[in-house]
Amino acid sequence: MNGWMNKIVEINLSTGKQKTLIIDDDVRRKFIGGRGLALKLYTDMCSVDIDAFDEDNALILLTGPLTGIIQTAGRYQVTSRSPLTGTIMDSSSGGFFGANLKKAGFDGLVITGKADKPVYLKITEEGIEIKSAEHIWGKNTHETMKMLHDTSSSNISVACIGPAGENLVPFASIMNDKDRAAGRGGMGAVMGSKNLKAITAFGEKEVSVSDPEGLKKIISTINTLIDKNPVTGKSLQLLGTAGLVNVINAFGMFPTENFKRGVFNDAEGISGEKIAETICTGRSACFKCPIACGRKTKTENREGEGPEYETIWAFGAQLGINDLEAITEANYTCNELGIDTITTGSTIGCAMELYEKGVFPEKLEWGDSSNLVKLVEDIAYKRGIGKDLALGSKKLAEKYGKPELAMQIKGMEIPAYDPRGAQGQALSYATSNRGGCHMQGYLISPEVLGSPAFMDRYSIEGKAEIVALFQDISAAVDTLVLCRFLQFAISIDTFKDILNIVTGLDYTENELLKVGTRIYNLERKLNSEAGFSRKDDMLPSRFLKEKLTEGASRNRVVQIDEMLDRYYKLRGWDENGIPKDETLKKLEI
Amino acid sequence: MKNFDIGKLAKMIDHTELKSSSGEKKIKNLCDEAKQYGFISVCINPANVKYAKEQLEGSEVIVCSVVGFPLGMNTSGIKALEAKKAVEQGASEIDMVINVGALRDGKYDYVRDDIKQVVQASAPAHVKVILETCYLTDEEIVKACELSVEAGAHFVKTSTGFGAFGAFEHHVKLMRKTVVPDIGVKASGGVSNFKDAMRMVNAGATRLGTSAGIVILEGAKLFKYAPDAWLEPEIPCHICPARSANMAKLPKALYQYYNKMCMNCEHREKYNRFYE
Repeated sequence: MNGWMNKIVEINLSTGKQKTLIIDDDVRRKFIGGRGLALKLYTDMCSVDIDAFDEDNALILLTGPLTGIIQTAGRYQVTSRSPLTGTIMDSSSGGFFGANLKKAGFDGLVITGKADKPVYLKITEEGIEIKSAEHIWGKNTHETMKMLHDTSSSNISVACIGPAGENLVPFASIMNDKDRAAGRGGMGAVMGSKNLKAITAFGEKEVSVSDPEGLKKIISTINTLIDKNPVTGKSLQLLGTAGLVNVINAFGMFPTENFKRGVFNDAEGISGEKIAETICTGRSACFKCPIACGRKTKTENREGEGPEYETIWAFGAQLGINDLEAITEANYTCNELGIDTITTGSTIGCAMELYEKGVFPEKLEWGDSSNLVKLVEDIAYKRGIGKDLALGSKKLAEKYGKPELAMQIKGMEIPAYDPRGAQGQALSYATSNRGGCHMQGYLISPEVLGSPAFMDRYSIEGKAEIVALFQDISAAVDTLVLCRFLQFAISIDTFKDILNIVTGLDYTENELLKVGTRIYNLERKLNSEAGFSRKDDMLPSRFLKEKLTEGASRNRVVQIDEMLDRYYKLRGWDENGIPKDETLKKLEI
Repeated sequence: MKNFDIGKLAKMIDHTELKSSSGEKKIKNLCDEAKQYGFISVCINPANVKYAKEQLEGSEVIVCSVVGFPLGMNTSGIKALEAKKAVEQGASEIDMVINVGALRDGKYDYVRDDIKQVVQASAPAHVKVILETCYLTDEEIVKACELSVEAGAHFVKTSTGFGAFGAFEHHVKLMRKTVVPDIGVKASGGVSNFKDAMRMVNAGATRLGTSAGIVILEGAKLFKYAPDAWLEPEIPCHICPARSANMAKLPKALYQYYNKMCMNCEHREKYNRFYE
């Protein structure tokens, strides 16, 4: 089948057995690949009450029909149950690993069971080998990648976990191609729970394309659209994601000191412009990507990539820290130890406020960067206070009797946009199927960046419709396993064209959008069966009661209840946020 | 406006590249894009007309050249000669800038004659008269529209894109109301996304001048999925020229004019101008 290698392999690490899964045509049509197909496979394999670390919990890594073919399509999608939230979790990473997996002849992997001893998977065009990883267990991600590269004769991609994943930190990441991360929701810990240290992939097989001439044209069109869009064609290229620091701060939405404020007075010193002037040594790009938003950087002691916008915030404004070098070092350490920067920084910020309130025993003060790297290490190794911080902010704040100080939704920390400054983004956070997440519906795009057009960021009118639309489009694009940045420049109508040119299928834009809607509803159904409902679609009380006191978003709070009612109705969910039977039937779920 | 036709929208766009830094490569891309997306014209500087005409050979896309651009302060004879040369080299439309200073001085005969000389030199090409609305009061905009029609122009146009600010719905409505239906209204400057484009068309614009045509068309594809939501009204201050009045860029009298407009606005009570 064009666009596919027709091979998704289930590997049971308990038994060592491998089995090629047969994907029904109807299932593939309804869920395509990546986040959609992984969700469907997961739903069919795992019960709703399964624990993230249960041997029977599946960890699914999937590519999509465009992987290895067009711009940004080197990515892969990871799906499992999250040890941080208990929800269904999808996490995605850029780089080249997905393309290498595909070119080795595999559309994806379904990993079940648990190996007796640490192992890694070696994937080549010849097949999949389960190999001992005892020599690399305990190594950080960069050491692991280097050691596996050294034992291979080819230009492989490595996806692996670091010590955080081995130690089952519930927000451990999977790292690949050095500094690319499937960062959120603890997929690295699920991998660690299976004693799976790494996966290497390399191949040179060609992925068949239905219309090669059409492909050439659409690749050119994609380049034009990327180039013309002010976000993808200019700011991301010039400053990377860090270009958002000054923008979001100017909008009074740059969360400062655990979201107590929306303006960080020292933002300029940790901005994308400052990075360009100081620590940046070059740009880096994922598979065939003309944007090249990655920043190669260098501190006095180390070299690496980043920090990205979210990380600058998490170790910067969120902690009141204005030391770019310290933020960058903390970022490098997270990458090496394999841990999510957003949850790590936000949890430290929560601990700082707990200390400020006099309930946290260890001295952690706003603006103090002296122990930042050590704190990250302590979390990854669950040492000292790191053992507490490794709980994530929700459980940490509950433990110290101040649950309201955790800036999280469904157990996952809210990223770097204060929702009081953008009502649509607030609704998107609240209703994200994986918790406090900006990726499942990036309303900052119309509310702040004006892409594809500006919406009044303070108004709640029309926001339910646009949030649902953006969530569904994002889910659809995740089935193609493309970079979200393409969504700034490319409409779902054009994504449909790309899909049809590669596969030879005849999707309409409405059918592709319906795939996204189906995914969003199935995720919701799984979560509701696991006990999630309206009570979990709620922002921390800070955003509902405490007005911002300075900057361009001052005097604002989130009006969540009004938006939620409208959103549920629009979605075809009941007043408790549960999909109705007729909705599921209409979506063929 | 709910039946938004992207093909028709493309046919309203002058695909524009007027920066002094743009060389032939940019112009070639502009022409290729105009053919691919079905824009009505490429709007370029006179020095690029011949080259653009060659690139567009065999296509339906026409060439539109600016004249007296961007200040409009050349003598009338020079403007006319510039227009004549552009038409000889292949321009089918001429966008000329009026002498804004003369208009503000009340030298209406001079302004009318300035436009007339360009209209005559451009025939059979159509002429759009750029008023540079940011530097005019509402009263002056009405007068400039009347003078343009009297001089035989085919369109009135808001802005060069190089002034203090670009097109606003308020000005487009005023221009539409002033000129007869067979005279076109072109909104240009700051039309950067599909909502801007729709707002201008709803206000009465029949042509849009923008370098963001491709972004506008791609973004417009999202409109059909949630038309009511996209059509939610803007905060009035966001679409008001008074909000863009910049002391550093406007003459003192005009800054005061816009400031007064803001002070007397019915929306002022509800919307805090400086924090919305």
